[in-house]
Amino acid sequence: MFQDRRIGLALVLPATLFLLAGFVLPVLVLLSGSLQGPGGWSFDAYVRFFAVPLHQEVFWRTVRLGVLVTLTCAVVGYAAAFAIVNTAPSARGKLIGLLILPLMISPVARTYAWIVILGRTGLVNQALQGLGLADGPVRLLFTETAVFIGLVQLFLPLMVLTLVSALENLPADVMSAARVLGAGWIQTFVRVVLPLTREGLVIGGTLVFTGAVTAYITPAVLGGSRVLMLETLLYQRVSVAGDIVSGSVIAAILVVMSYTTNVLLRRIAAGRGR
Amino acid sequence: MHSIGEEMIRTVLAAGALALLAAGPAAAQTTLTVSGFGIAQDQFRRILYAPFEAQCGCKIAVEAGNSAERLAKMEARRANPEIDIAVLSDADAMIARTKDLIEPIDVAKLSNHARLYDIAKDPIGGNLAVGYTFYNTSIVYRSDKVKIESWKDLWKPELKGRLALPNITTTQGPLLLFMTDRAFGGSGGAFTTAIDRIAEVKPNVVTFYERSAQLLQLFQQDEIWAAPLGRFNWANIKKLNMPLAWATPTEGQTGGINVMVVTKNGKNRELALRFMDMWLSTDIQTKLAMELVDSPANKEVVLPADVADNLTFGPETVNAVRLIPPADVIANRDAWLAGWNAKVAR
Repeated sequence: MFQDRRIGLALVLPATLFLLAGFVLPVLVLLSGSLQGPGGWSFDAYVRFFAVPLHQEVFWRTVRLGVLVTLTCAVVGYAAAFAIVNTAPSARGKLIGLLILPLMISPVARTYAWIVILGRTGLVNQALQGLGLADGPVRLLFTETAVFIGLVQLFLPLMVLTLVSALENLPADVMSAARVLGAGWIQTFVRVVLPLTREGLVIGGTLVFTGAVTAYITPAVLGGSRVLMLETLLYQRVSVAGDIVSGSVIAAILVVMSYTTNVLLRRIAAGRGR
Repeated sequence: MHSIGEEMIRTVLAAGALALLAAGPAAAQTTLTVSGFGIAQDQFRRILYAPFEAQCGCKIAVEAGNSAERLAKMEARRANPEIDIAVLSDADAMIARTKDLIEPIDVAKLSNHARLYDIAKDPIGGNLAVGYTFYNTSIVYRSDKVKIESWKDLWKPELKGRLALPNITTTQGPLLLFMTDRAFGGSGGAFTTAIDRIAEVKPNVVTFYERSAQLLQLFQQDEIWAAPLGRFNWANIKKLNMPLAWATPTEGQTGGINVMVVTKNGKNRELALRFMDMWLSTDIQTKLAMELVDSPANKEVVLPADVADNLTFGPETVNAVRLIPPADVIANRDAWLAGWNAKVAR
């Protein structure tokens, strides 16, 4: 692209330096902090962290909610993205505008709104009782369900947006071709659409999973201390107990978790594409 | 006749002298660094910091934040402390004491020390802290739904799904353990009886709250009918205009003291003592109480009844507050956390 390679290098230099100083270096310091033992390098801090049953529980809850939220967003997201891509271009712009709207509202405000909606006298409980689906108020607030709902609402737009752009790049005739050749809807989706849009799914999935496992406000407000996730536990360990070591262990776990998810998703996508 | 050069030199010299004069007092002006809670800093500035600055010709810098953060900072700067005075809860002051971050206060130099309630004079021992305010902690409850006359009443079945308790990580958490332990016949500072009892009532608990401000919303939305909390929330609770009452349990009320400590090897010891003395004066304590910032620790403060009701005020109330013995905090804090995490948090 550039006649002179040096121009290209010069152009990436500022961003690279900024990332090195502002991101790579601090992350290395953080990670190495969690690997310091009494006598040099060790996994001691990790062993001690996972020895606490509460910490194991919080770890698995974080993984479980991350996976559930990602899967839900993928399923709901594909359906929504399909619908959006298949509307007239003018309507499509408006729909995407609506999709982006919640992203412009502070997550704090959105999460507090859920307190009202999910409360004992909130909309959901009124609807459940009005429809005769529940005898009395159902406890939703401060449960895993509340955190799950909050996280899905928070990250669904990211998944839909990435899938919309993936589906827009899908050649117009492939689905009709598949149908003409006798494939059912499910077969068309699994054998044609999914492989061709897998890049979008990998990006969306990584964004949603990473966002869900590292979200702080949603689990803090909708889950509270009874539904701790790694991020809320991190805050508690560092800010309340002054336990910086556990804090860096949790931070390292989250980094590894997010990276692993990205690698796994890419693997799966590559496998499907073959 | 003066040459232009001579004139210039003279001007430059004069300007230099002026600059020196101007810089002189500024360089001499010391800064007293206070590490404090983030709340009500505007009122503190107006009522306390600004008048003190005018009096001492110094500057007050405030480092605000939660106790754990500020303690960590004090520990990190142990060799070269930047903080002169820290304002902490009594429990955190005990931690600062065990970490050897604070030094004894020469209370003879505090002219207002004799005016303090006895429990504020030497709350953590060794004159290492002086209390400037305290609060009582009891149970706020919906008087139309439930009757609370004992700490044990939090275990009533009608509070199922309607109860909020403080998390162990808050200042109120250990206070709940303390009163629960006493109510159910426990003894000593390990609070094992309390932890077992709280684990038992866990299914009834809506949430273990981290910030007392959260309780306002929960009461308002009819999520909860009872919660133990500190008196400093009472003024706001009353504003909800709901049938909420402050319990006077048979076992008594608990509470805590907020204290001032002097950093070990701090640079402005004399100034720090003057600042403390001013904070403890009847005048400043009255002003802070009138704006509901802090309940007075100075027993000479006189308040109108409506203001007093929002605070922890008067010798009877103050003497009835049952405090966790500071030594128990240090000896058992880790055990409380471990016990809670094993039995309650899971």
